Amino acid sequence: MNDLIAAILRSGTPLIYVAMAGVLAQRAGIWHLGLEGLMITGACAAVLIAAQTGSLLAGIGVAIVACVLGSALLWLVIEKLRANPIIAGLGLTGLGLGGTDLAVQAVYGSEASVNSEVALPRLGAAFGPYSELSVLVAAMPVVVLALWVLLRRTRFGLRLAACGEHPFAARSVGVVPSRMRLVALSLGGVLCALGGTELALGSLQLFSVYMTAGRGFMAFAAVIFGAGHPIGAAFAALFFSLVEALGIKAQLTFGEAMPRDLLLTMPYIATVFGVWISGRLRGGAQAARGFGELRDY
Amino acid sequence: MSGRLLAVARALAFVLLALVLCGAIFEASGFSSVLMFQSIAEGAFESPDALMNSLRWALPLFLTAAGVVISFRCGYFNVGAQGQFYLGAIGTTFVVTWLNGAPALLVVPLALAAGIAAGMVWAAWPGLLRIRSGTDEVITTLMANFIAGLVLIWVTSGPLKDPSGTGQVSASRPVALAYRISDSSGVSPAILGIVLICAVLVWLLVNRTAFGVLSSLAGRNPVMITWQGASLPRLGLAGFLLSGAFAGLAGAVEILGPNGRLVSGFEPTHGFTAILIALVAGLSVSGVVAVALFFGGLAAASLYLPVIAGLPAAAIDVINASIALFITARAIPLPDWLRRFARPAGAP
Repeated sequence: MNDLIAAILRSGTPLIYVAMAGVLAQRAGIWHLGLEGLMITGACAAVLIAAQTGSLLAGIGVAIVACVLGSALLWLVIEKLRANPIIAGLGLTGLGLGGTDLAVQAVYGSEASVNSEVALPRLGAAFGPYSELSVLVAAMPVVVLALWVLLRRTRFGLRLAACGEHPFAARSVGVVPSRMRLVALSLGGVLCALGGTELALGSLQLFSVYMTAGRGFMAFAAVIFGAGHPIGAAFAALFFSLVEALGIKAQLTFGEAMPRDLLLTMPYIATVFGVWISGRLRGGAQAARGFGELRDY
Repeated sequence: MSGRLLAVARALAFVLLALVLCGAIFEASGFSSVLMFQSIAEGAFESPDALMNSLRWALPLFLTAAGVVISFRCGYFNVGAQGQFYLGAIGTTFVVTWLNGAPALLVVPLALAAGIAAGMVWAAWPGLLRIRSGTDEVITTLMANFIAGLVLIWVTSGPLKDPSGTGQVSASRPVALAYRISDSSGVSPAILGIVLICAVLVWLLVNRTAFGVLSSLAGRNPVMITWQGASLPRLGLAGFLLSGAFAGLAGAVEILGPNGRLVSGFEPTHGFTAILIALVAGLSVSGVVAVALFFGGLAAASLYLPVIAGLPAAAIDVINASIALFITARAIPLPDWLRRFARPAGAP
C-alpha cells in the first residue's frame, strides 16, 4: 500500500504542479494547452543546465526563466495578436517539444536522452517508505493550499477570477485583464518549471526527448475535471496517477497475459472519463465553439 | 476579392514572423539559421527529385487536412487527426493481412474502405461524447491520439507483427506487391486520382451543398442555424465522421502506397501538420491544395535534413509549431498613437 501511495505521489506531483499552472490560466480566462510544452521545456532546461554546471539551483533557475519566457510569448500571441488560444497553446506545445529536441541535439549530438548527476534532494530515511521522494513532493500540498488561498482569499485572486469570468466588469473597476493574464501565465510558468524539474530530476535524473508523453494535456484535463479549483484539480491529477500506478501494478502482477501497451492507455482513458464526467455534471454542453473567426474566405 | 487578398497577405505575414522566431531559436541553440533555411529549401523545392518528394508528402497531408477543414468549419475542434490517421492505417493493414492472396481488385477497395471506417470510428466517439454530454472535444481527441499511438505499438508488436522483423522498431509484414497502389516514391496515378476525386468532392461539399453552407454557419453562429431548423448535433457529428474518414483514408493511402507496411510510431506529426495546413489555408479547400504543397515540402525536408545536411529534423517541428503559434493571430499590435486610426476591435 505504501508503495502504491509513493508511486502515485511520484507520478502525480509533476502533474499537480503543472495543473496548478493550468488552474491559474483557467481562472484568468485562458484555456492553457501550452502546458505540455512548458513542462518539457522546464524538464529539459533543468536537466541540461544541471548536467552542464553541476548546480541544481542554476538548473531550476534557468528552467523557471525559460518557462516564464514561454508563457510571456503565449500571452503576447493570445492577448496582443489576438490569436486563438487553443491553437496558440498547441503551437507552444509543439515549440517546446521540438525546441527541446533541437537543444538536446545541439549539445549532445544524436543522443535522445541526457543523464544528470544532480538530483532534487530526497526526503530522507526519516520518512520510511517515502524516503526516495523529492522535496518537491513534500512541498506540493503547501503549494496547492497556497494557490487556493491566493485565488479565493486575496484581492488578486478575486480580481483574476473577474478577469476570467467577466472581463468587462474587471475593467470597469480599473483592473486590466490583459495585464492580470500576463501575471497569471507567468506564475504558471514558474509552476510548470517546477513540475518539469520534478518529472526529470525527482526520481529519474534524466531528460529524454518527448518524455512528458501527454502529461501536460493530462494536467489540463485535471483542471477541467477539477472545475478550475486548485484542490479539485490536484485530486483529479492524483486520480489519473492512481490509474497509471494501477496499470503498472497490473502489468507486474499479470505479466505477459496483459499487453503492456494497452495497459499504458489507462491514464489516457481515465482522462477522457474524467472530462466526460465533468461535462455531464456541469451540463457543459455548450453549442459549437464558433470558430468562424478562423475562416477568412 | 480584396478581402481575400488581404487575408492571404496576413497569413503570409504571420508565417514570415514565425520563420523569424524560428531563426532566432536556431541561432540560440547553436545552428546557423541561414544554413538551416537553405538546406530546408534544398530538401523541399530545389530539384525535380525534391519536388516529387514534396508531392509525395503533400498528397496524404491534403487528404487529412481536407477532413480537418470540414470539422473546423462545423465549429468543432477535432484535433484528433493523428489518431484517426493511425487507426485508418491499422484498419487497412488488418484487411490486407487477412485477405492476403485474394484478387487485388477486391482487396484494395476493401482495404481503403476499412481505413476510412476505422478513421470514422476513432472520430465518432469523441464526436458522440461532445454532442451528447458536452465533453470537451479538444481533450478527448488529444487523448484519442495518445491511445491510438499505443494501439499502434501494440498492433505492430502483437497481432500484426512481422515475425521475421528485426531491429528496434516493430512493424507489420510488408503489403503484397499486388495490393500496392504506388511504389515507395508515393506518386502514382492511383493516389493522384484518389486525391483529385477527394479534392473535388470536398470542394463541392463545402461550397455547393446545403451541408456546406449550414456547417460553415454552424461554426459562425450556432444560434441562428438552430432557429433556422437545422440540427446542430447532426451537423457536428457529420463533421467529426467526415474528418475521421479523410484522415483514415490518408492512413490507408500511406499503407497501400509509399509506406508499404505498418511501422509503429510512423509520421508522428502528420495530424498536427494537417491541422496547420487547414488553418493556414483559412479553412478554404482551394487554399488547402496550395498550402499542403508547402508543408509537404517541409515534411520532405525533415527527412533530407538529418541524412544529407546533417542537421536535426526537429527543426521542421519547430517551424511547424511557430507557424501554429502565430497563424490564428488576427491583429497586428500598433502603438497607441497609431491605434486611434484603426477600427476598434470587437473584444474588450
